Amino acid sequence: MSTASTNQPSQHPHAEHQPSGASSWAVLLLAGAFEVGYALSVGGSQGFTVLSWSVVAVVFFLLTLFCLSRALRGIDVGIGYAVWAGIGAVGAAVLGPVFFDEVLTPSRAVWLAVIISGVVWLKVADGHKG
Amino acid sequence: MSWLFLSVAIVFEITVALAAGLAQGFTRVGWTVVTLISGGIAAYFPSLALLTFDVGVGYALWTSIAGVGIVVLGALFFGQRLAWRKAVGIAVVIGGVVGLQLCGAA
Repeated sequence: MSTASTNQPSQHPHAEHQPSGASSWAVLLLAGAFEVGYALSVGGSQGFTVLSWSVVAVVFFLLTLFCLSRALRGIDVGIGYAVWAGIGAVGAAVLGPVFFDEVLTPSRAVWLAVIISGVVWLKVADGHKG
Repeated sequence: MSWLFLSVAIVFEITVALAAGLAQGFTRVGWTVVTLISGGIAAYFPSLALLTFDVGVGYALWTSIAGVGIVVLGALFFGQRLAWRKAVGIAVVIGGVVGLQLCGAA
């Protein structure tokens, strides 16, 4: 456990002794949002041959990695990663057809939902630690 | 070929997740370097896989299989418990991946 708190004390007056669960989860949700942007820009970069998408992907990559690393100071590594990836997977599946020439068919959506449920279940299985 | 790219991506994605935890918010230099290098490799190979897979499908496969690997390796090397509930989650992910393949999306 980390002893030094680098949380914003002005915003979280109660988080004085260690990274609080709440702030770690907030940073994790932020990392998830950046991950969706990252997934979409990697897809749009066409194997990193399109410069604009590639630059955006690198920026999102650094943001999501930094936030994830910070969040994992207060959250179990397997669980934190599962939630992060779960947000990314839902975002990519839903927004992929919005930004690209893709179709989210019903059968595909069902199996994607099964996969994402499995990932989220991994978090629920360890709910007492969150 | 796209599955080969995806497999390489998954191996390095698992490395990223474990190293990012050990990097402690980028305060430990060695693990931070490992995280960034693995992240670069883990970023490039999915981009090749996504030339074939749709983003939603490719991303779900890439991260869910890596997620299962992280839980399994966390249990093996970091002493995190692999309770039966987690095993159920792993089974559901594998079932979903197989289903996605059978419906022709992957």
